[in-house]
Amino acid sequence: MAISLKGAIASRTEAETIALGGMLAPLLEPDDVIALSGDLGAGKTCLTKGVASGLGVVEHVTSPTFNIMLEHHGRLTLYHFDLYRLERADQLEDIDFFAALEAGGACIIEWGERFPERMPEDYLAVEISIAEDDTRHFTLVAYGPRGDRLANAWLATAEAGRVAP
Amino acid sequence: MELAHMAAALTIESASFNTPWTPGMFAEELAQDDRVWLVAIDAGELLGYGGIMLAPDGAHVMNIAVAASARRQGTARALMMALAREAAGRGARRMTLEVRATNTAALELYRGLGFDSLGVRPGYYDDTGEDAVIMWADVARLTAIAAAREGIDVILAIETSCDETAASVMRGGSETLSSVVATQVDFHARFGGVVPEIASRKHTEAIVGVVDEALEQAGLGFGDLDAVAVTYGPGLIGALVVGVAYAKGLSLATGLPLVGVNHLEGHIFANRLADPELTTPLIALVVSGGHTSLIHVPEWGEYHTLGSTLDDAAGEAFDKVAKLLGLGYPGGPAISRLAEQGDPAAIPFPRAMLHSGDYDFSLSGLKTAVLTYVRHEQAAGREIDIPNLAASFQAAVIDVQVAKAVRAAEEYGVRDFCLGGGVAANTALREALRVALAARGVRLSVPPFSLCTDNAAMIASAAHFRLRNGGFLGLDAEATASLPLG
Repeated sequence: MAISLKGAIASRTEAETIALGGMLAPLLEPDDVIALSGDLGAGKTCLTKGVASGLGVVEHVTSPTFNIMLEHHGRLTLYHFDLYRLERADQLEDIDFFAALEAGGACIIEWGERFPERMPEDYLAVEISIAEDDTRHFTLVAYGPRGDRLANAWLATAEAGRVAP
Repeated sequence: MELAHMAAALTIESASFNTPWTPGMFAEELAQDDRVWLVAIDAGELLGYGGIMLAPDGAHVMNIAVAASARRQGTARALMMALAREAAGRGARRMTLEVRATNTAALELYRGLGFDSLGVRPGYYDDTGEDAVIMWADVARLTAIAAAREGIDVILAIETSCDETAASVMRGGSETLSSVVATQVDFHARFGGVVPEIASRKHTEAIVGVVDEALEQAGLGFGDLDAVAVTYGPGLIGALVVGVAYAKGLSLATGLPLVGVNHLEGHIFANRLADPELTTPLIALVVSGGHTSLIHVPEWGEYHTLGSTLDDAAGEAFDKVAKLLGLGYPGGPAISRLAEQGDPAAIPFPRAMLHSGDYDFSLSGLKTAVLTYVRHEQAAGREIDIPNLAASFQAAVIDVQVAKAVRAAEEYGVRDFCLGGGVAANTALREALRVALAARGVRLSVPPFSLCTDNAAMIASAAHFRLRNGGFLGLDAEATASLPLG
């Protein structure tokens, strides 16, 4: 399946970004992979906090920049990667990246775009950009059928969430 | 023990037990080759005695008793430790004993020495029909604990929680016989912007050589050690597992007891190594690229994490802001240098969680505030004053750290405060903490830079205290990326 641009969701505050992550959480299934890209401070870890909270993770989701990968236990195990500090693709082996992709949990990968050829066949990419007025735009790009379904469901939930009181 | 001790021993024996041993029983025991009997004597007076039988499966404690006047002074403990050394010298690897299930004082003593309950022998004691609790201990563990309490233990410690592969040999928790750190990237090159090598493979390649070097510098071999210590968290899981697997393998191959140390505990002990005057209770602030934690230490070996970062670590915030400003990554030290030339009050960045009422930190919002400021200034076509921005950012970080540090010191009534971790190198943070704490009569301790960054000497020092309390790690223990402290 070809890569397809699915649409975008806007968030004006950190609280909205966390809520957006909370909407994605119930849609996640074992071995789902979400790749997040965007500048430092765009809201990648913030969105992940929302996903973790929606999965029932109790502890705080701290930045994985230093640890490269942090694991959180909720309805699904959440593998939170930050590939920022990796220099070469072969280091992905060293951090057990490929095993985590198939470990039956959900993976959120920050800075996955550094190693596009090593990303799985089917995943959902979220590209975060910051507008002039500091609004964050989350652009969803599906890389395969599962990514496509996930994007559709998330867009629908986010749309419904927006009109709710 | 000799027959000459018999009269005094019988007095202690009959005062100690419902069914005391008879002179004939003592005489028979002392005559046998596979027995070792020891006495505790002070100024010619017999204070206690104990004996073991050496069997193929280990040493069995036959009897141990202490005069009522000499109890609660460590006599029984000293006797048991001396018996354990005798057992070790004769090749015994385990030690067993029976104790009355109702004798809580003895049960507590043996547990404190490192014995574990193995099971119960029902109705073992004829006089009362009481159960006997069978206890056992690893002889190497007993002798290691004894050595640690005497301050003569020799520990090999291994640290691989992040980028550094490190090993150290230490005697008595404070005498560093060697401390070797294989920095995977040269320090200066690293802060010039080279991304640190994180591969666990590098630890695997380095660890054997680093341990050999540490032993060689100490002039010792594995046979001279009392215990092996290892950092088992928190840190990078792929890095931690290398040290833990190596230490477990070494423990299994040599029979040396294994002691697990929390990396943050190590950073606190770095202060103690550099400053032996340091006394508990104290508060420690560990700030590095991976940690920001405020810890209350009521006494050595006891920890209560009061708070930590909810998102980015302090060092990470410095590094990320450096990246935003195009100063490279990691660039924390570059920010600090620029901050020296700037006005810390130039830009009013938020002081996150300054009034949250707890001891947690949040630095992600500050990073975003810096990003937003930069973007707005650029959009408005204004040039950014980098030194002012660096100084204002640094002040926002430091203000919150200092405020929480001072509050913790006051709430827990401590006179000593420790700063540890790589960010302790930041002179502005050190100075602000020193001034604020001194105003309240609290002394700030900062170790030299070589002990602020990751090393194994601090792990060995922490392990010494764990060992004194009989804190061991089982071979089934695993490296834990988010190991909590306290």
